[in-house]
Amino acid sequence: MQFDDQNRVGKAKRRALVNQTEAKNRVELFRHLPQYDHGSQLPNLESKLFQLDSVHPAVFKVGLRYMAGDISGVNARCTEMLRALQEAIIDYSTPPEKVLIRELTAKISSYISFINECRPLSISMGNAIRFVKRRIAKLPLSHTDVEAKTALCSDIDRFINEKIIIADKVIVGHASTKVRDGDVLLTYGLSCVVEMILLSAHDVGKKFRVVVVDSRPKLESQALLNRLIAKGLSCTYTHINAVSYIMHEVTKVFLGASAVLSNGTVLSRVGTACIAMVAHAFSVPVLICCEAFKFHERVLLDSICCNEIGDPGALATVPGRMDINYLENWTNEENLQLLNLMYDVTPSDYVSVIVTDHGMIPPTSVPVIVREYGQEHYLI
Amino acid sequence: MPDVHTLVNEFLNQLKKRKIEGSQATAKQAAELLRSVISQQRLPQTHQATALISAVRAVGEKLIAANPVELAVGNIVRRVLHIIREEDLSLATAAIDGLELSAVSDDEDDVERDDYPVLSAAAVAAAARSTLRPPSLQTLLEDTPISAAIPHTSSSGGDSEGKSRSVDKSSRGRKLKHDVIEAVNELIQDISTCYEQIAEQAVEHIHQNEVILTLGSSKTVLEFLCAAKEKKRSFKVFVAEGAPRYQGHLLAKELAARGLQTTVITDSAVFAMISRVNMVIVGAHAVMANGGVIAPVGLNMVALAAQRHAVPFVVLAGSHKLCPLYPHNPEVLLNELRSPSELLDFGEFSDCMDSASGGSLHVVNPTFDYVPPKLVSLFITDTGGHNPSYMYRLIADYYSADDLVVKRRPATTS
Repeated sequence: MQFDDQNRVGKAKRRALVNQTEAKNRVELFRHLPQYDHGSQLPNLESKLFQLDSVHPAVFKVGLRYMAGDISGVNARCTEMLRALQEAIIDYSTPPEKVLIRELTAKISSYISFINECRPLSISMGNAIRFVKRRIAKLPLSHTDVEAKTALCSDIDRFINEKIIIADKVIVGHASTKVRDGDVLLTYGLSCVVEMILLSAHDVGKKFRVVVVDSRPKLESQALLNRLIAKGLSCTYTHINAVSYIMHEVTKVFLGASAVLSNGTVLSRVGTACIAMVAHAFSVPVLICCEAFKFHERVLLDSICCNEIGDPGALATVPGRMDINYLENWTNEENLQLLNLMYDVTPSDYVSVIVTDHGMIPPTSVPVIVREYGQEHYLI
Repeated sequence: MPDVHTLVNEFLNQLKKRKIEGSQATAKQAAELLRSVISQQRLPQTHQATALISAVRAVGEKLIAANPVELAVGNIVRRVLHIIREEDLSLATAAIDGLELSAVSDDEDDVERDDYPVLSAAAVAAAARSTLRPPSLQTLLEDTPISAAIPHTSSSGGDSEGKSRSVDKSSRGRKLKHDVIEAVNELIQDISTCYEQIAEQAVEHIHQNEVILTLGSSKTVLEFLCAAKEKKRSFKVFVAEGAPRYQGHLLAKELAARGLQTTVITDSAVFAMISRVNMVIVGAHAVMANGGVIAPVGLNMVALAAQRHAVPFVVLAGSHKLCPLYPHNPEVLLNELRSPSELLDFGEFSDCMDSASGGSLHVVNPTFDYVPPKLVSLFITDTGGHNPSYMYRLIADYYSADDLVVKRRPATTS
């Protein structure tokens, strides 16, 4: 939705289930994206637990967890959302005189818009939702409620199983062949697929080092660091500014993705583009590991047109460093804005290969996969 | 007047403990310290310049060893040495000119002859020898002090000539000290006013409605941007935080307080935002002889992103940051690794340090980054704007080739 269009914003607000207040110091460049004040959102939503009848409790729970930031990473978000939809479908019953397909589709759409209000959907989650809607549309009219619901639930189960869980195993199998003894692998952010690759290569007995790069404000790589060290890998930890310093030691870079777009660009956690650029400057190969369901037919040239703005207050404070309090009263300063971008777009020339469950493909083959496999798999 | 030794030791302490922040403050203090050293140095009758040079070198060697990464100290030491050489050279040429004039005016009044002590040709030659010329091969091989040669020639002259020559030399000595101190004062003045001179050029480079990106904080950049604001240019600034010191927060606050539209972004968002930026303006820690820049960590990433998007990368540096050395392996040799506690909370990760499962943790926290000259579009110094390929030429203006290695050669036993 265009957030710079006043009419549309007004209409959406009237329909909205979640009260969002616009942030005071909004960044001009991102007027077309929602920039909300994050302080009051969560308590507001929690207080509505028993008031929102139109939203299924499982969906409400997922929305709440999204807003709180409990779930992060496309795979986890997708899985949780689909499970919640499953529960909602099981509990659904068609009102009399109404057709299942249309009613169910409308209900699912309302749940999705609620989840969207809690936290904007990522591009690849759109693929999953389209799958669900298509399955609903393809239901034969002769099916009773019970049969339809069981069919849908098993379809969703199969999607999660094939597209996420088994796909991850295939990706790990492909990528582990690329890890050799003596390698120094660099990873950024918290990607579950990359973590699986590293652990599986370590289990097989390969000797390598890992460089874990982190960035603000989420500092999510620390969790990865903890888990890797507990499993016995030797790790080096640094922050994203020091990437040029550490890159001359690195032999390969493994990165995860949130979505891969048809012009070969990779949408991922903010900072991935910087890592890929520095790796390219030092002639280090960059391997993007992502499942095929994240391929999307949209195209993007830069990180501004489609992005997500996180909580700006998270930039003002540094956890664990009490002395960094220069931006304490930043809201009072009218000329000052804080920008907390969540995603950025890595150009395709920085990516050496994309490891998917279809195999290892160059970034130029992404539209081929989208076209050939996009329709087929949804016809299961 | 505190003893020079205590002053030197105090400054050395501060350098070793990294108590002084910023090249400008360091440079100024170093210059003032060297000025005190020079003014309190007793000069012999002959070869004042050599004596001054070895005194300054002795102190300078210690200063550089205290904090080798702070290149501004070495720069100032070399500047002062260059000043001494220059002043001595100009005095010697003036003396020789004076002598030649007096030789011409031989048939003039005796009064005038008293003003210019008349010296024989041998004395002129001796005077010329006592100025600083590169040591001849003979002296290098024999390692005989040059002053040993002079008494021989002076004894060939008359008594009166010897006296007048010594008078002339002591007055020349005082004049040398005086000139050197004046020049060092000018140097200190230059260091103090470098911000204004760089900021004057701001209007030439920033146009209306421009978008500027910077990382971390630099006083030069702050003054530069505010000077453009004073001239009624309205523009926006994106400031990247500059982890792990977060100086970008300070700069953003300052700029917003002075009325500029500022947005703070994380360092990871630099590539995302740079496509909408017109110019990148940053400060430097030091500028090397090949035009490469030692800059706060993260700037190499910014420079690469700027090159990709064809955004000009402008580096602001006062002339005291210009270093005559070439960077060999600068990431390692000209870098300083800071405490890991700035990145990780020690409490959470202390058990990782010696984990039973064999995993090991190593934290890397460098302070500086090296930006190669091909990524820099322009240097703006207090002498104007320059290409990176021109920086080596400025070095010839400020430094002498003899001073590149400040360390004294160990004296061979005779």
